Amino acid sequence: MRETAEFCLDSLARAGAEKSQAVYVKSRKHELNVETGKISLLRTSFSTNIRLTAIKDSRRGTVNLNLTDKTSIEEASKNALEITRASAQDSAYDISQKQPQAEFDNNIEKPALDTMYEKLDSFLSEAKRLYPYIMFENLIVDFSRRTEYLLNSNGVDFKSSGGIYNFVALFTAKDGKKTSSFNYSGVSLKNLDGKFLSRGSINTLLQQSSGQLDPKGINGKFTGDIIVTPDCLNDFLSFITDQSIGDGAIIAGTSVYKDKIDKKIASSKFTLHSKPVSDEIADGYHVTPDGFKAENQTIVDKGVLKTFLLGLYGSRKTGLKRAPNSGGCYIVDPGDTAFDDMVKSVKKGILLARVSGGEPNNNGDFSAVAKNSYYIENGEIKYPISETMISGNIQKMFMDIKDISKERVDFGNVIFPWILFPGLTVSGK
Amino acid sequence: MIEKDLDKYSKLFSLYTELRFQENKNTRIVFLNGNLIANEKNTAGGVSARVCKNDAWGFASNPQRSEEAVKSVIKTATENSTFLNLRLKRPKTALPCVSFSSENSHATTKSRKSQKEYVDFVKEIDSHIAGKYKDLKSRTVIMSTLDMEKSLITADGSRSYSMIPRTILVIVLSSEKDSKPVELYEVYGGPGQFEDVFDGNPQSHIFSEIEKLHGHLMKKSEGVFPDAGNRECILDADLAGILAHEAIGHTTEADLVRGGSVATNFMNKEAASPLITLIDFANSSFGKPCPVPIYIDDEGTRSQDTVIIEKGVLKSYLHNKETARHFKTAPTGNARAYQFSDEPIIRMRNTAILPGTSKLDDMIASIKDGYYLMKTGNGQADSTSEFMFGITLGYEIKDGKLGRAIKDTTISGIAFEVLKTVSMVSNEMKWSCGGMCGKKQLIPVGMGGPAIKCRVNIGGK
Repeated sequence: MRETAEFCLDSLARAGAEKSQAVYVKSRKHELNVETGKISLLRTSFSTNIRLTAIKDSRRGTVNLNLTDKTSIEEASKNALEITRASAQDSAYDISQKQPQAEFDNNIEKPALDTMYEKLDSFLSEAKRLYPYIMFENLIVDFSRRTEYLLNSNGVDFKSSGGIYNFVALFTAKDGKKTSSFNYSGVSLKNLDGKFLSRGSINTLLQQSSGQLDPKGINGKFTGDIIVTPDCLNDFLSFITDQSIGDGAIIAGTSVYKDKIDKKIASSKFTLHSKPVSDEIADGYHVTPDGFKAENQTIVDKGVLKTFLLGLYGSRKTGLKRAPNSGGCYIVDPGDTAFDDMVKSVKKGILLARVSGGEPNNNGDFSAVAKNSYYIENGEIKYPISETMISGNIQKMFMDIKDISKERVDFGNVIFPWILFPGLTVSGK
Repeated sequence: MIEKDLDKYSKLFSLYTELRFQENKNTRIVFLNGNLIANEKNTAGGVSARVCKNDAWGFASNPQRSEEAVKSVIKTATENSTFLNLRLKRPKTALPCVSFSSENSHATTKSRKSQKEYVDFVKEIDSHIAGKYKDLKSRTVIMSTLDMEKSLITADGSRSYSMIPRTILVIVLSSEKDSKPVELYEVYGGPGQFEDVFDGNPQSHIFSEIEKLHGHLMKKSEGVFPDAGNRECILDADLAGILAHEAIGHTTEADLVRGGSVATNFMNKEAASPLITLIDFANSSFGKPCPVPIYIDDEGTRSQDTVIIEKGVLKSYLHNKETARHFKTAPTGNARAYQFSDEPIIRMRNTAILPGTSKLDDMIASIKDGYYLMKTGNGQADSTSEFMFGITLGYEIKDGKLGRAIKDTTISGIAFEVLKTVSMVSNEMKWSCGGMCGKKQLIPVGMGGPAIKCRVNIGGK
């Protein structure tokens, strides 16, 4: 693979690139699929991808191809230069500077295919016994092993390899004509130890869906507390991480957090890390797409925004600091309140387990339908709800955080607690 | 071009086998406030095989397209099927046998433009917006193209070749009101390669569309919160299309029906107002090609129009070979795969509500206090047919007349209930051509419809 990656750089140079980057990825995936409750498909996919980026005269172009022979690479390199010549000039285009050569590997080489099958079969039997109303629309267990070379003309030379198991389930409860909302969850794993049922939030959600065949609507409208579950938290967190502090929103100047570095954007109870190279995260990464060795970082420290998630281009375009990683692998620090005590503290509100809603607007205003969720009254979870809408402002929600749970769920790629947000509008029919 | 004649490989089949060559080529050009932030050309192709024995499926794919790679994927897929068959120990079963041949290319016959000409085209639009609309805070212009080329041979004798392209232009405009951003976007373009989609449409046409978009944005920046509740609304074509796709179409995909979808309760029963007929078109409608024309699916079944709801009564689900056998009916040609490395699964093609007889102006005039909802940002629906769509553009209707624009909001409801409240359907039909549906894999889809008058829950204050 190294020879091919080096050939890519040579080829881009011969085609006329002043600066270049080549990323060559090879992966193999083994995937077991369950459809309508039965194991139905074993899929093996072998894939390759080469991403060539050329810079010349402050112009940039990128070509992706999945053939790896020399003729295809040479043709793609010429193509990359043609695209580069078509580009507008921008002095912010660049590649990462030289860093020490490095190789990373989690040494998970091959799938335990028989174990994957047996664990999946046992999971289906146990789930059927414990939760007879559950129907799995789709369930996937896979193992992927991926090797990536990232080389550039400044001498950057990174190799990262790793294997990971993933378990994802999409399910509904059905009893006669009664159907629950669908729900889903997943987890990334370094090994197949233990039961799938006990990983992430799988068991909790199957149990909840089984009891959601008779949801009730809420009459009228009220302002109340919302406890957002770990499965649902990213729907709100992504307003900060994906929508507001990345290259796009900061370059465009549309982010509500554009002037908030070292300022408060959340309650002091809230601390958010991005830890792609931590042992806490099963499915991390070691190299950013723009060619830097990734490091862990704290994005929000006790409510204070410490960094944007700017890549190399965004950083050069805005003159602001480049982030030490490209986001993801989020960990929210736990609070000091037990989940049960959190529920007891709610006079009137919702346990929000999933939302169906559009992206919030750039200001953070959102409205979304609560799915697989529960009405809470006087400190007790009363009943599952239907046709209930939640609305509010996400900026304000994070500023107003009332409590964060002690307990957290480890999904393998993120680790999240339950968070209690007060003062949201809940409207029924 | 990919290899078209795959006959020579059929001798390698030992079980029920589908062999597919596929190449997806796409281009993506993005200008953000005049900065070219993406300028890419991507090609991803290869060969895949899917094999079935007694409902134990094996699949394998390889990005190489050599004879050796073909032998390898057929061998691995066969081994995978055998691995499962040995463990599952299911009784002997066979899939419905279909045989159909099809060759369809929608590639342009004009000479192809260069990447530079594409970039210049997008840049000219960006410069026009920058020069004319000084009141904008931000602008994004995105052009993306996708050419999907496939060839297929199956053990039961189907053969096909297709090249289905699509070219999309997305324009996002953003202004500011009281230091808060207000955004609106629109999708232009449709089926065909760039030379056919935009060559015949001079930019003056796109400029006039941008003028309309800007006008709506300015009104939206003065917009008001809707009065939340269950309200009488007119859902314009975009909304009717996404309702047809997300909230009804998905619930009638037979794999989701088997997974517990609520549609099973409505078969041959009243599922909507008698004014509603809903069809998943295969490749053409009203004498014109659909946004995503599909002539044969990736299991080798001829794709035919499927009437899902006829005059309010649920008539059919969408099938692949396996679900057709389960429900004792014929496959409908809905098994589609996005990448060469994807297995075919049940997908919609071009899902639309048929037009009615009312005029839009009369529909607006018939509402005393409600909303005219025009554009959606996204949509999701449930196995219960409960749906949620983000509304990015809409207007109040007061005493039969359009009033103030509304701020971003959400509508929701149970689709099978909402469709029963439909009391008027407009006589104009519009397709939305930029749809990308997600269900394990992404896939391009068409969605369409007329405007419909119904009752729906709207968020707001």
